[in-house]
Amino acid sequence: MLKTIKPKNARTKRILKKREPKVEENVKTAIFVRGSTTSQVVNDALSDLCRLRRTNSINFTKKNNIHPFDDDTSLNFYCSKNDASLFVIGSHSKKRPHNLVFGRMFDGQLLDMIEVGIEKAITMSEIKSQKCSVGMKPLFIFNGDLFETSQVHKTFKNMMLDFFRGQNLESINISGLEYVISITATGSNVDSDSTASSTSDGKIFFRVYTIQMTKSGQKAPRIELEEMGPSYDFKLRRTKFAKEEVYKIATKVPKTLKPKKVKNIDVNEIGDKVGHIHVGRQDLGKLQTRKMKGLKRMTEDDQTEDWSRKKRKS
Amino acid sequence: MDVSAQLEAQKSKFKSINVEKQVSLQFDLGLLASFDTNALEENKLKTETDNYLKSYTRDGTQLLINEIFQLPLTSVQDVGVVVELPKIVTAIPREKPLPKPKPPTRWERFAKLKGIKKNKKSKLIYDEEKGEWVPRWGYKGANDDGSNEWLVPVPDNADPFEDQFTKLREAKKERISKNEARRRRNMDEAETGETQKLENKSKAGAKALKKTELHQQISVAKTSTASLGKFDKPIKGEPSNTKGVKRKFEPNIGDIQKEKEARLNILNKIIDKKGEVLNVRKAIAKNHQEN
Repeated sequence: MLKTIKPKNARTKRILKKREPKVEENVKTAIFVRGSTTSQVVNDALSDLCRLRRTNSINFTKKNNIHPFDDDTSLNFYCSKNDASLFVIGSHSKKRPHNLVFGRMFDGQLLDMIEVGIEKAITMSEIKSQKCSVGMKPLFIFNGDLFETSQVHKTFKNMMLDFFRGQNLESINISGLEYVISITATGSNVDSDSTASSTSDGKIFFRVYTIQMTKSGQKAPRIELEEMGPSYDFKLRRTKFAKEEVYKIATKVPKTLKPKKVKNIDVNEIGDKVGHIHVGRQDLGKLQTRKMKGLKRMTEDDQTEDWSRKKRKS
Repeated sequence: MDVSAQLEAQKSKFKSINVEKQVSLQFDLGLLASFDTNALEENKLKTETDNYLKSYTRDGTQLLINEIFQLPLTSVQDVGVVVELPKIVTAIPREKPLPKPKPPTRWERFAKLKGIKKNKKSKLIYDEEKGEWVPRWGYKGANDDGSNEWLVPVPDNADPFEDQFTKLREAKKERISKNEARRRRNMDEAETGETQKLENKSKAGAKALKKTELHQQISVAKTSTASLGKFDKPIKGEPSNTKGVKRKFEPNIGDIQKEKEARLNILNKIIDKKGEVLNVRKAIAKNHQEN
């Protein structure tokens, strides 16, 4: 494990402060590692994915003997040293050709990872088209109901969203919506209990397109797509899911970020905003009303007294 | 004037932005994502994958863009049209655990107790002498503590031969060192959990501890007079402290009978039944033992 460093000057202090846990986190850094043997396909794939994620991604150029499913100590070391929490490891072997492992870290430990095999790949450079600007936030489209039903696909969806989402923004410029990543899943539902390779039919199509907006005569523009980026046909291989308790801690939302509940204000059926004011109990018998002397109840004696008094005055 | 025909003509110029879907899409606009659970045409996917995917994605993207354009739009100058995104719905795990709240420092605890609120001060302050806005502290700041003054008046009650400049400089150094000591003390307390200890003291578990502490303090206070508390008037109902009393003495004027008996007992012990004072046999044995 890395030893804790005590800052000796202001610069290292700033770096450490940047790396410590915060309520609103920084953008996740990703590392792209090559395994002990890689193929050209894998190399191209790693560099393309790195380009899609231009900022906050570190490309390891040398080959490392790393087997994430067997031993994760070296992986933990790389990630904590580079302050990264996402990784992609590419390798090639006879048993697992053109292999990519996508993974995430939490608190310096491995959270979960998914291994995919590349069946068909077209690199960005092969597709001659205009590329999007660097560092834009992509749009996501997930096609197929497997992303709602299958546990593996759900994890893959979560991982893809995490990988390519970029910065957390409150508002975005319309002209900044430049490209879309479309992930389509086909094949039969994968049961977590079945041990046989039931993903033999299952494929995931990974496509990236640039968006062209044209006038439509209405508020929203007409969309046309043009294939831009890398295009892959993935085949799901092994997966390692996160432990329940760890995942629960990792997805905990702090109280400050939870949306504030406004009390006493509702929206009724018509759509009007209605508010409740809670007034204390009132004793209606003691209410101050207008005094009308003529309505006062008087006895006969009083009446004569009054009259006599009036007479004396005048 | 019937404009509908012209409207129709205008509309037909542009391509439609409506998309028909069997099952409506789910959106997470904070992430700019849409989730489509409609069934895909398997054979089309197998035969003409790329074209089918492109057209299918185009439909999905169109719906997503329509949804985005429903959000509040504002026009910001020099930037263009900006859309406000809602919060993210899907639970994405963090990379690091939530930060633990820092324990309050000594001052923070005191301020909380007294109800003192922090007033945010502005960075720049108007300097009357210079006639411009200077930083309140720091480089070329206004609060110099007088350590760089060119003229220092000697106060009336001070020694005329004392160096006022060094006095100011020493005072500043002392202030700095005090501040540093306090800062380090706060850091150490934060590490060892001093505030947690103090907070725990207020809990029920330490109530018993406080009671014994209190008793100890009372006993210490009692014996802290000039005559170690011997001649203090005892308070009603207070248990007298019999600690440290080693010998018990009978009162001088008491029961005469008892006194007589006690003295005669002593005499009987010295002179045994046979009327002899010395037991020769025992004496020889003891002498033998000692030698």
